[in-house]
Amino acid sequence: MISKQFAERLLGIAMSSGADFAELFCEVTESNAVSAIGSTIERANDTLISGIGVRAFLGTKTVFSSSSDLSEEGMLACAKAVAAAMGDPSTPQNVLLCERVFPNLHPTEKLTTDVDAKLRAELLLSACNAALSYDPAIKQVTGSIFGVDHKILVANTEGLYATDRKIRTRIGISALAANENDSQSGLAAPGSGCGLEFFDRVTPETVGREAARQAMVNLGATYCPAGRMTVAIENGFGGVIFHEACGHSLEASAVAIGASQMAGKLGQKIANEKVTAVDDGTIPGAWGSINIDDEGTPSQRNLLIEKGVLKSYLVDRLGSRRMGLPMTGSGRRQSYRYEATSRMTNTFIENGPDKNEDIIASIENGLYCKQMGGGSVDPLTGAFNFSVTEGYLVKNGKIAEAVRGATLIGTGAEILQNIDMVGQNLACAEGMCGAASGSIPTNVGQPLIRVSSITVGGR
Amino acid sequence: MKFEELKTTLIAAAKKAGITDYEIYYQRGSSLSAEALKDELNSFTSSADGGICFRCVIDGKQGYASSELLTKEAVEGLVEKARANAKVSQSEDEIILFAGSDSYAPLEAVRAQFPEAAELRRSTLELQKALYENSPLVGDGTQSGISYYEDEVYLFNSKGLDLSNRVCGGLRYADAVVRQGEEAESAFAFAEEQNKEDCFALPEKTVKTALSRLGAVTIPSGKYPVVIDGKVFKDFLSAFSPIFSAKNAQKGLSRLAGKEGEAIAASLVTIVDDPMREGSFAKTNFDGEGVATAKREVVKDGVLKTLLYDLSTAKKAGVESTGNGQKPSYSAPVSISPYQFSILPGEDPRDALFGLAKDGIFVTGCKGFHAGANAVTGDFSMESYGFLIRDGKQAEPIKSFTISGNIFELFKEIAALGDTVYWSMPSGFTAFGSPDLYLPLVSVAGD
Repeated sequence: MISKQFAERLLGIAMSSGADFAELFCEVTESNAVSAIGSTIERANDTLISGIGVRAFLGTKTVFSSSSDLSEEGMLACAKAVAAAMGDPSTPQNVLLCERVFPNLHPTEKLTTDVDAKLRAELLLSACNAALSYDPAIKQVTGSIFGVDHKILVANTEGLYATDRKIRTRIGISALAANENDSQSGLAAPGSGCGLEFFDRVTPETVGREAARQAMVNLGATYCPAGRMTVAIENGFGGVIFHEACGHSLEASAVAIGASQMAGKLGQKIANEKVTAVDDGTIPGAWGSINIDDEGTPSQRNLLIEKGVLKSYLVDRLGSRRMGLPMTGSGRRQSYRYEATSRMTNTFIENGPDKNEDIIASIENGLYCKQMGGGSVDPLTGAFNFSVTEGYLVKNGKIAEAVRGATLIGTGAEILQNIDMVGQNLACAEGMCGAASGSIPTNVGQPLIRVSSITVGGR
Repeated sequence: MKFEELKTTLIAAAKKAGITDYEIYYQRGSSLSAEALKDELNSFTSSADGGICFRCVIDGKQGYASSELLTKEAVEGLVEKARANAKVSQSEDEIILFAGSDSYAPLEAVRAQFPEAAELRRSTLELQKALYENSPLVGDGTQSGISYYEDEVYLFNSKGLDLSNRVCGGLRYADAVVRQGEEAESAFAFAEEQNKEDCFALPEKTVKTALSRLGAVTIPSGKYPVVIDGKVFKDFLSAFSPIFSAKNAQKGLSRLAGKEGEAIAASLVTIVDDPMREGSFAKTNFDGEGVATAKREVVKDGVLKTLLYDLSTAKKAGVESTGNGQKPSYSAPVSISPYQFSILPGEDPRDALFGLAKDGIFVTGCKGFHAGANAVTGDFSMESYGFLIRDGKQAEPIKSFTISGNIFELFKEIAALGDTVYWSMPSGFTAFGSPDLYLPLVSVAGD
């Protein structure tokens, strides 16, 4: 993308007006998508995103400039813009870079970008048709398969010059079930940090049927009642509760500026002692995994909470400067257009001491959330919300009728204490997380857990 | 490469490939922004980017390919990629390359005037200082910023269409954090740079809002009379705008399918889509397919007058395109979305709506629309905050509750509308506006 010599020149210019650190991030991302409606391929699309982002620091002040112009003049203009915004530019500084090669922990076999769109279209139609034929009440299906080949180069004035390549594949199927009076939807969207070999593990048909199954459950469901309840949240995407209730509040972007409920709580007990939570970007081939972060720091396993005690935040380079804590390989960004900031990778609650059947049996009157949708949080207050896309009432320790339209709300500090049972079927699921540095792939996960009391929005 | 050069390159490449029906869409933009934290400027950002999309129609099927890399090789390569993608498409929808509308509304020529770096630093720091000066309770985490942007689009096709548009604007935002004891609350607000009065009022307004949220209590679950702030309901309109898309209707994904001419809302509700709204700096007189845009009533006195159409869905329905086939970005396919989309105001000031509710809830914030609102079914269940209404007056702040319902039912239950419309920040050419509204009975989950 950029030669070492040219990167040295760009960084030298960015440093020419008094900055104490400069970095550049260059990217070429090829992506492709096929989408279908019903059993018809609607569209195929190829996109190439490329550009450069140059950033300089002076203490905790940052200047950032980005450009899609990868010509020499375009990149020089970008570096000069950074210098001009930082101070009065004088002579470019001498910068010496040394290439570092990081091992690839996430090997891929079949890149979607190497495969004819027809093959991807066939896989997608298998999924759509499986959903359509699941039940006569399935009236519509939409779906897509998305592949990304993301190549990055990071260089900085600490001498780093490194590249990485991230491959991702994802399928999303949405099914609509309808009868005379009502229509309800179901969604399944698994993905992986690998190529099309992903479909050897997860067949398209399974995905289609799962979306249809959810839609059928919701079609037969009544509205969820409202109020405070004991709730069991299933593994996989259920982990969104930790992502929202706690994960975002541990990001240096909020903690370092005092805008997080978790600021100043390192070493304190912030959760029930059954809760141990981890952020780990090194899991081979996982959706949220990276070899190096978008600031060039190698990814690592971060123990966030151990038996209820806060052990670590998620720290990017700027956060490290602000907080005086080491970087945790958490600097991430959607593209060159964004400044990297502290973000999650694969974040999950570890298996606990409780048997899953005991968790359900312990609930006299409550809610079992089998599938969760997305959510959001205000890190300052910790107030979060997320939606239940497949839920059942629990009566006298047994799972009863399906209910729909529920939302769970609460504050992180309270809910972490209320997670009073943690089961043993840890699994992760894929999501896209949106924040200041754009939309990035992250995994959420947990075993089945019980929350002793939480507000359930329903009617 | 400049657009003219890109165009020439693509026209030649298409000709060489024997492709006769195609479209070229080019977008480029630049921005400048500064942000302040505590008492200093912590970030200064500039950007310049652009990308081109080539869409071709071969044997009635379309294929897309786009690139930000604008070298000759990359741009020429788009033609083959688009052709391969067209071969995969099986859609029976008729693909129409548009030769142009008879006339387009006049657009005033605008050119961005980005401030000098020093000037932008100074005004951002002033804004930040003003936030802190408004109350001793304002503290760490408080941020503010000012940004300017310019965006240009060019649309050219083999039928002779050759259109362009440029928009530019500036926005400032304030995110005030206030603390009292262990409690922290915040408020976010924005103002358009061109509106000096709003900009001047921004710091005080934001801090006042944040302060008003301190000391919030919880409420029991139940059904309450509710007044929803227009600043909140505009987000409902945004989340549920896909129900007005003819594409969704034709694919069985909107419950408004086949409802044109029928009452879908209370008779006091009129919804207007106005791509050339006075005062907006994101105007456009053509859509992503080159069709002239126009102001229109989507819902009139509660009756659905029209869905929003692009060329393909209009053809299928035997009507004219409403000019709502937008490109959310240069690389995205055409999709149907509204422009400046708002519920027209009623006659009641906010206090009168409180009087109608008597003892109820004033909802001033809802969060998590991407998960809690389902545009296919219309169901919503939203984390909310607000104030109690007691005896027709705004009382203490409340938090940690949800409001739940179904948008199709809600539209019919609107019993009164406020007299002021509140607009969202524009995204592309789209923004949503709503007055306050009064709903006699809403499901609330609380403590």
